[in-house]
Amino acid sequence: MHHEITLTINGDLYTVAVQSHHTLLKVLREQLGITSPKVGCENGECGACTVIMNGVAVNSCQVLAVEADGATIETVEGLSKDGNLHPLQTAFIEHNAVQCGFCTPGMLMSAKALLDHNPHPTADEIRHALVGNLCRCTGYTRIVEAIQDVARQGDPT
Amino acid sequence: MQPFEYYKPKDFDEAFKLLTLPGKMMYPLAGATDLIPHTRDGAWKPDGVVDIKGLPGLRDLKVEGLEPCCGCAPGECLYVGAAVRMNEIAHSALVRSHWDVLAQAAAAMGNEQVRNRATLGGNLGTASPAADSAPALLVLEASVLVKGPEGDRSIPVEKFFAGPKRNVLKKGELIVGILIPKPPVGSVGVYEKLSRRKAGDLAIVGVAVMAYPHASGHRWRVALGAVAPTPIRSPQAEVILNAGHDAAHIDEAAAAAYGCCCPIDDVRASAAYRQMMVVNITRRAIRAVVQQLHP
Repeated sequence: MHHEITLTINGDLYTVAVQSHHTLLKVLREQLGITSPKVGCENGECGACTVIMNGVAVNSCQVLAVEADGATIETVEGLSKDGNLHPLQTAFIEHNAVQCGFCTPGMLMSAKALLDHNPHPTADEIRHALVGNLCRCTGYTRIVEAIQDVARQGDPT
Repeated sequence: MQPFEYYKPKDFDEAFKLLTLPGKMMYPLAGATDLIPHTRDGAWKPDGVVDIKGLPGLRDLKVEGLEPCCGCAPGECLYVGAAVRMNEIAHSALVRSHWDVLAQAAAAMGNEQVRNRATLGGNLGTASPAADSAPALLVLEASVLVKGPEGDRSIPVEKFFAGPKRNVLKKGELIVGILIPKPPVGSVGVYEKLSRRKAGDLAIVGVAVMAYPHASGHRWRVALGAVAPTPIRSPQAEVILNAGHDAAHIDEAAAAAYGCCCPIDDVRASAAYRQMMVVNITRRAIRAVVQQLHP
């Protein structure tokens, strides 16, 4: 059976008919064409599908689309504004924090969720927030440095 | 993933009707972090899922207005609704104020994304022997509040697990919340977890230890996860600690914990390794409690 759901994605309101057993990840990618969340392990281990849902990072492969009725979703597609990259995106580029790029959208959304709640995290707090985001190109150090850089930019000094 | 139907009842009567649909495999849905992977790999075959997050009281995290209660003073118990997320528990100032060992266990579970979805009721209901919340709830002497088509009941956590991935709930029954007595001032609880990586993995061994001020000394509770068909208490270790918690007693209690468990070999660790690590992790947890008792 189909369920009609309404959700806000990157500030835009969408109404879409979804099947009960389809995940938010599947609906984002295959029905709405929002493909920054990646299909990785589909088991809640790798974080490649991470989106921000109602202000917190979740694995979109672990959410039924129908559960997202009324939710507010943020993905990488919503990070840049007026053609300008988000500071996290710029920092990832400057720090060479991207190798193959498959984990990057999930890393960015986990990092954004962290900074939204805790603008000045320690390196330990950053690593803790990224426990659920696996990078298989051994890029963690540069990713942590990129996020620290953004956290410093936000300093009032 | 095999197709299934989705329902979101607004009241318990509707929920019980759905959960007991004749000839149908109906699963309660809370955080979905067990349901989706288990359905995807074919271990669970739901015809339908019943989203319980809209039922009254299931998202509450509070100390007041409790009915039924466990016999302690009114307003002295913590009520955690079954659908409260692990991260809500881990970050809750209320939980950390008197029930910190539960916050520690919630923070040790899964990863950030999973803790933002997974619920306390689900962690218990799935009844994994390695459930991080279980040892904490065992040492806190918590009760599982259950509603079902035939009425309400309260089950001590100790009696809730029936075997690996099996609990004592009957068809149609739902965990609605967890009730936890308020430990007396001066109580200290610690959850120690050993896993293959520092975070984001299931426990090889999980140990919760709690010391309650009692008469002139302390009353101890020791609970072990991932080393038996269900999470268990170690009454032998508790008796030893009740008599004292100097170095000799701590070693003796850790050895007693070794004797309580009967772990299995799996992808995470061999049974022999698990059993040896029970000694180390139990000792570490007891020492951490002692350190806070006598800073």
